[in-house]
Parts: sequence; structure tokens; C-alpha cells
Amino acid sequence: MVSRTARALAYLLSSVVAGVFGFVWSLAATLVVTLTSLTQLGGPAFLGASWVTRRFTDLERRRAGWVLGSPIGSPYVPGGGRTLSERVRTVAAQPATWRDLAWLVLLFPLGLAGGVVAIVVTGLDLGVSTAPLWAWAVPNPHAPFPMRFLMTTVPGRFILTVPGLLLLPVAAWLLRTLGGLQTRAAQGLLAPGVHRHLVDETARLAQTRRRVVDAQATELQRIERDLHDGAQARIVVAGMTLALVARKLRSRPPGQDGPAAEDTVRAAEDVDLARRQLDDALTELRRLVRGLHPPILTDRGLHAAVAALAGDSPLTVSVQGDAEERYPAAVESAAYFVVAEGIANAAKHAEAARCTVWLGRSGDAVHITLTDDGQGGADPAGSGLDGLRRRVEALDGLLTITSPPGGPTVLHAEFPCAL
Amino acid sequence: MRIVIAEDLLLLREGMVRLLTDTGHTVVAAVGTGPGLIDAVTEHRPDLSIVDVRLPPGFRDEGLRAALRLRAADPDARVLILSQYVERAYAAELLADGRGGVGYLLKDRVTALDDFLDAAERVAAGGTAMDPEVIRQLFTRSSRNHGIEGLTAREREVLDLMAQGLSNSAICTALFLAPVSVEKHTTRIFAKLDLPPADDTNRRVRAVLAYLNQ
Repeated sequence: MVSRTARALAYLLSSVVAGVFGFVWSLAATLVVTLTSLTQLGGPAFLGASWVTRRFTDLERRRAGWVLGSPIGSPYVPGGGRTLSERVRTVAAQPATWRDLAWLVLLFPLGLAGGVVAIVVTGLDLGVSTAPLWAWAVPNPHAPFPMRFLMTTVPGRFILTVPGLLLLPVAAWLLRTLGGLQTRAAQGLLAPGVHRHLVDETARLAQTRRRVVDAQATELQRIERDLHDGAQARIVVAGMTLALVARKLRSRPPGQDGPAAEDTVRAAEDVDLARRQLDDALTELRRLVRGLHPPILTDRGLHAAVAALAGDSPLTVSVQGDAEERYPAAVESAAYFVVAEGIANAAKHAEAARCTVWLGRSGDAVHITLTDDGQGGADPAGSGLDGLRRRVEALDGLLTITSPPGGPTVLHAEFPCAL
Repeated sequence: MRIVIAEDLLLLREGMVRLLTDTGHTVVAAVGTGPGLIDAVTEHRPDLSIVDVRLPPGFRDEGLRAALRLRAADPDARVLILSQYVERAYAAELLADGRGGVGYLLKDRVTALDDFLDAAERVAAGGTAMDPEVIRQLFTRSSRNHGIEGLTAREREVLDLMAQGLSNSAICTALFLAPVSVEKHTTRIFAKLDLPPADDTNRRVRAVLAYLNQ
């Protein structure tokens, strides 16, 4: 209790000094930045001023920690920009920058008022309580009753200490309350606000979504591999067994005519039928796997997979870009299906004869561009393109399509590749 | 035939061994990795290696790469690649050196036993065996091609089998045709596609695949 009161007192007293400095600084900084903003130096001056202000308010956050128990958290959103003007814009766009300034201005009257009250309350109460120690040094023969008795006689001075000591807890409570009120005001302006929370939340959501998408891509690869090593292999082995059975049935020793031999022939035919049915099952599985995650995408990467798509298409498709480059699994998978759908649309709806696919990294992004020589007029809101858009956007990518009547149709997908 | 098998899945490896042994062949080694394949082939010098595309450690196309290395080191190595799916690009890589003795088939083809054994023997004898699925992909790609459009349905069938690597006599059997008419068809196909006539089956396959792949 004593320590909390002492800390509140220290806070209130230091607020007076901090308030004066804060007021002078904010006035000076505002003036300088306003004047220099008319010149080339406006940007650097603003950044410099906000840097100092931030250090100042960081001290304020730590000072408030004397009363609160722990410092106030930092509200600044990390980031910046490459150019000076970008950095000025990001700093200026943060509410925390202006709330800092508001606090420095507000601290002056708040600190002064709090400081005066604190000094008066503390001084008065401690003075009265310790009257026997010092009142003898202040002779006051003309004081009115009852002050003359209380101030000039020894018993009187000891009587004075009674209300002083009795009011000590009240004075302490007052100091703590004042300190509490002031730090609450500080918290209101200096603590992370809605903006910071939204920025944090957005970053968290983007990260979790990326994890989900990555996990999904990995999962699809795993399923492809499991089918390859499991179901598909087992079906092939079963087919092998059936093939051997059919062969054995056929190679029964000749000369055994009659119903038994006919049965054997029919059984061999049935076994062959079962074997072909297994082949159909494998064909189905292969188509399913291709739809999930084409094996060549795992084996050889996006470029080779797109080249294979190009090869399967009745169109003349040329694929350009760095053939060796590999991208994150989720990007490769989404990009593959963009190209697949794009080529299919070009052949089906646009009546194109040629299509060019360009794949590559440029800056921080993976770009895929499909251009055909068809008649254009594709509906960007069509279900196929809409599905692709969702797939691309799940990776924070962007899908654009331009398809004027008469063509050409250009499909462009862009994925951030810091994945 | 003396055969080396490279297949990482035990189930399939054992199945293949049993299938080949039951049909009168000798499996001299059955391995599970690309380097294992190269060692086994160096040691046993088999008539044929049957190789899965996906092998450890990466489970991508290590089998194919090992096969290509094998053939680069020993031009007489005969390799039949088996895979759960076929890619035209892989077929092109296998055929790139222009020599016969390669095959590329879907694993399911193994169960059509007689056709599979024919294909294996063809490859071991220095011929070519291309999966019908590869040929189908090539046909889709070439469907707008002028020369292909000019072929009759029967000629397309013959072209399909030629591309798979079948010899004239094998095509006769497959399509129930007389040898003379198969020869007539092949001559006409080569004329229509403007290809130089080729009697040798390997050269014929190469010419046809190159034509379809252009």
C-alpha cells in the first residue's frame, strides 16, 4: 500500500515535468513540421519529429507502468515503405501517431493539475502530522483561536498530529486515485487502439489462411501418393493374379470335351472380364488423381506439367518461361488449374487455334498469363472462371481476365510468392 | 528371358516376379531403388529391365532417370518403363536417343498378359513398345493436323499400332488383316503423311512419333 502510494506520488510529480517538456516539444515539433512541409524537408522533418515523439511516449508508457504495474503496450504497426513519401504516408496513416501528440498536449494541464493537488495534499497532511517536530520554529503569537493554542503549545502540537495521522489514509487514497485517473487517460491515448488490433488480426488471419491452403496442397499430394502406393498398386496386383488365373484356365490339357471344358472356357472369359473391369477402375482412379493433383506436377514442377497440358490440347500451345523454376506446392497447384481451365476454355468457347502461356517470377510475385487468338467474349462471372478466382484469391492472388468481343482473351493470374 | 525388376512397392515387386516366373521367364534381380537397378544391371547383364518410374528417395521420376543413365552408359541396355500414369514428355525423353530397346507402358497393361509379354519381348529384341495412352495423347494433339485428317479409319488404326511399336506381322494379327493389305496401308499412310518409307520398325516408330509430336 505504501509503495503503491509512493509510486502514484512519483508519477503525479514527474507528470508536471513531463507535461512541460511534452507541451514545449509538441508545440515546437508542430511548428517546425508545418513550416518545413512547404519545402523538400517536410518529409524528413515529419519522420524525425514522429521518431522523437515515439521515444518520448515510449517513456510515458513505461512511466505509466509505475502505477499500472506493467508498461502500456506499443500501439505502432510495423511496416514502412521503400520511398520517403511511402514512409511518411504509413506513419501519418497510423492513428497512434496522432494519439501520441494528443497525449503530449493533454499531459501539460493534466500533469500540472495533478501535480499541484499532489503537492498540496501531501504537504498539508505530512505537515500537520509532523507538527511537533517543526512548529516550534515558526512562532505565531497572533494566530486566532484555536490555532494559537495548537501551534504554540506542545500539547497543542501533539493534538494536531491526531487528525493528520487520521487523514493519512485518505490522503494516500486521494493520491492513488489521482494517479489512477491520470494513467487511465494515458492508457486511453497510448495503448494499442482498434487500428492496431485490426492490423494484428488481419495478419493473423492471413497467416492461418495460408497455413490452411498449404496444408490442403500437402494433403492432396499425400492422397495422390497414398492412392499410388495403396489402392492403385493393389488393383494392379489383383489384375496380375486374375491374368494368371485366366491363363491357367485356358491351358488346361486338351482332349477334355464336354460341359466341364465349356465351363472352364466360360470361367476364363469371366476372369478376363473381371480383369478388364479392374482396368476400368484404374482408369477412373487415374482421372480422379489428375483432377486432385496431377502427378507430373509433383514430379517435374509447374512448367513441365503445363507443357504436358499443352501437349494434350488440340490447340497449338506454346509455353514460355523458366522451365526449371519451382514454386510453393499451393501456388503450383492453383496455377496448374488456371492454365488447364484457360486452355480448355480457349478450345471450347473461344474457338482459338493458338494459345501462349507465360509463367515466371517477376518482382515478388509469380505471374501466369494465357493469351489466345480466339473470338473473346468470355464471361468473367462464369462458373468456371469464378471457381478459378476463388482458388487464386485463397492464396492472396489476383485473377484478371480481359476478353473483348472479337478477342483476344487474356487470362492473368498473379500470386505473391513469399509463401 | 533374364529380367531385372526395379519397383519400390513390395506388393507389386512380388506380383511382377510371380507373373514373369509363371510365364517362363527368369527374374535375376528385383530391386527397389535407382542405384540398385544400375548395380543389378551391371552385375547380371539381363535381357530386359522392367523399371517403375517412381523410385525412392524422391518418389518422382528417379526410375526414368536411372533408365536413361543406364542407356547412356550401355547402348544395348533394354528398358521397359512401367508407370501408374503416362506422360508424353517422358515418352519423348525415352525415345530421344533414337535407338530401339525401350518401352513405356501403364502398369495396368501388365494384366493383359499376352500383350504385355509381346511388348516385353519386343523391347528385349531391340524394338519399341509405346503405351496406347501415349499414342492417344499424340493423336488428340495432332487431330487438327492435315495429314492425320486425310487418313481413313482403318489407316488410323494401323498408324496407332505402328506408333506403339508393333511390326507388320503383329499388326496383321491384331487387326485380322492379310499381310499384303497391312503393307498396302503402311505405304499409303507414309505417302499421306509425307514420310520417307522405313522398313525397319524402330525407324518407323521414330518417324511416326516424331510426326505426331511436331
